Amino acid sequence: MTTKAISLPQSQPREHEQEDETREHLLLDPRPRSELNRMVMESMLTTTPVFKIVLGILGLLAAVCLFGAWIYMGLTGIGVAGVRRPSYWGMFIATFVFWIGISHAGTFVSAILRVFKAEFRRPLTRAAELMTTFGLAAGAMYPLIHLGRVWVGYWILPYPNNRWLWPNFRSPLVWDMIAITTYLLGSTMYVLLPLIPDAAMARDRSTGWRYWFFRILALGWRGAEGEWQRLRTAIQIFAFAIIPVMFSVHTIVSWDFAVSKTPGWHSTIFGPFFVAGAIFSGVSAVGMILFMIRISMKNMDYFIRPEHFDAIGKLMLIFSFTWAYFYFNEYLLAWYGGDLSDQYVWQALTKGDFAWLWYLMLICNVVVPWLTLWSKRVRRTPWMLFGIGFIINIGMYTERYLIVPGMITRNRFPFMWDSYAMRIEPVIAVGSLCLFLFLYGLLSRFIPLIPIWEVHEGQVATMLRRIGKAKVPTISELD
Amino acid sequence: MPEANVHLAVFNNVDPASEAIVKLRELGIQEDEMQILSGLPYTSEMLGRARVWSMIPKFSIAGFLGGFVISLLLNLGSVWQYPLHVGGLPLYPIPTTIVVTFEISMLGLLLFTFLGVIWECGFPSYGKKIYSKEISDGYIGLEFNCPADLHTQVHEALSALGAEWIHRTEAVDL
Repeated sequence: MTTKAISLPQSQPREHEQEDETREHLLLDPRPRSELNRMVMESMLTTTPVFKIVLGILGLLAAVCLFGAWIYMGLTGIGVAGVRRPSYWGMFIATFVFWIGISHAGTFVSAILRVFKAEFRRPLTRAAELMTTFGLAAGAMYPLIHLGRVWVGYWILPYPNNRWLWPNFRSPLVWDMIAITTYLLGSTMYVLLPLIPDAAMARDRSTGWRYWFFRILALGWRGAEGEWQRLRTAIQIFAFAIIPVMFSVHTIVSWDFAVSKTPGWHSTIFGPFFVAGAIFSGVSAVGMILFMIRISMKNMDYFIRPEHFDAIGKLMLIFSFTWAYFYFNEYLLAWYGGDLSDQYVWQALTKGDFAWLWYLMLICNVVVPWLTLWSKRVRRTPWMLFGIGFIINIGMYTERYLIVPGMITRNRFPFMWDSYAMRIEPVIAVGSLCLFLFLYGLLSRFIPLIPIWEVHEGQVATMLRRIGKAKVPTISELD
Repeated sequence: MPEANVHLAVFNNVDPASEAIVKLRELGIQEDEMQILSGLPYTSEMLGRARVWSMIPKFSIAGFLGGFVISLLLNLGSVWQYPLHVGGLPLYPIPTTIVVTFEISMLGLLLFTFLGVIWECGFPSYGKKIYSKEISDGYIGLEFNCPADLHTQVHEALSALGAEWIHRTEAVDL
């Protein structure tokens, strides 16, 4: 029997494979604008009973665990919390630092990636920016919770008064208040500006109360040349201006600690160390929230794809390196410097009461990401990235816990050492997490989570170009 | 633009829309008598139009300077009026002043940039305006003011360029 080899043209199947590959990219898989609009509207309007039940439970937990417990603490006294000498700063402040850290993700994804024209950011920006707003809102409550008698909170305002308290306007706590206010207002405006054209799109497709809601939000937007140009100019200015504000916020939070002489806190690299940690936990939280959006909202698998999880996974890995670098820097000198107070802290962390937390932190923040995020398959699997993001955030929370009530209990006076026992704090922390998720879930049904005009713009700007035998993605500069 | 003569031509692509602008110019319609409405931020260069003059960067600078002055007043004024000596530090320490000054100046910048958009675009501007819902579906609208004697010529020229429809339009509630 004789066989005759038939040679097939090589280029055809390869081209098909290549086209299938490019279809994986959102920007190379365009759909008509009307279709994109319909999909985003559908995602907002479709609410399953399971979603409603979950949202209801989150709302209830927020009401009971956060506001209920807070009111109970107010009525009973700060004694129901575990903060007492020497750990005047306990889990409340650790949770405050955690939330402020989470809030850094929005600006990072939206502003820094916008400035550097990272195209993968396009469908993610609003979801990340909302994390900033809600993260800050959750975090900003903690200084008030920490006050105890919140109704006399105005006593700490830096103005002279007849109580002779004379609060110091130059205190780091005042820097904190001003920085967080600036960041909260700035990031809220930064969410609102790119939302205007999408609100107009939603206005054109809504009826009833939603029409009125979007009409108010759209401010009368028509998409005129002047409107677009002014909006773009403002977004560009915001993108550049909010980056230093973002860096300043967590730096100032770190100075709350670093300006004191407490061992483990008094460090010149605390600012960048905190910023790196904040972006690390924030970016991980973005990966988690994208997964939740993808599974809980209709049509989101079109907009949020494995390429986006892949990019977020790479950022998580890079920031894990950065965090580890700063951590090593911080503790190498403490360990090698020979200062007795620093040595006590170091021993408490590595061999003492906090050792299990310290090793848990290192496993979560270093071992897990370094072992897993190298793999492209892991990065592109949404549920795995969610899991790794969750582990990283446990690690980052542990880090904040070790810094705040951990180190303060190993101060310069061994006769004042004591252990910190949390009491009502975990309940309030769970409540604030539920509030964050509740607000996020609620808003996902009220505003388009995908910045549709930015996605469309990216699809218009991206095309395949033939270079030799291959077709490669090419991006045009539209601004 | 008096509403009576306002027309809206709708194109499904930016290329014929930019050609239509050239054609309208040739027919004698003035630059300020036409405007593009779109669902995407096409630049003036893409549309072949003069760049829209904007004061937003100036708003931003003004906001920054305003914030700077306010922060100095807070930093220096409060201490000047109620001196508070802290741990042998000077009454007017520069490093702590820098922190507060930076934050309040940046808040001024961001706030005024936002207000600049609102002010320059005339937002909120609810009420009757020339608009078509197809614009947010990706169509390009060319709004122009056309004298009655040019109606036929304009319709022919824009139809030849592929305008999906051209009609005298009524203002809609936005």
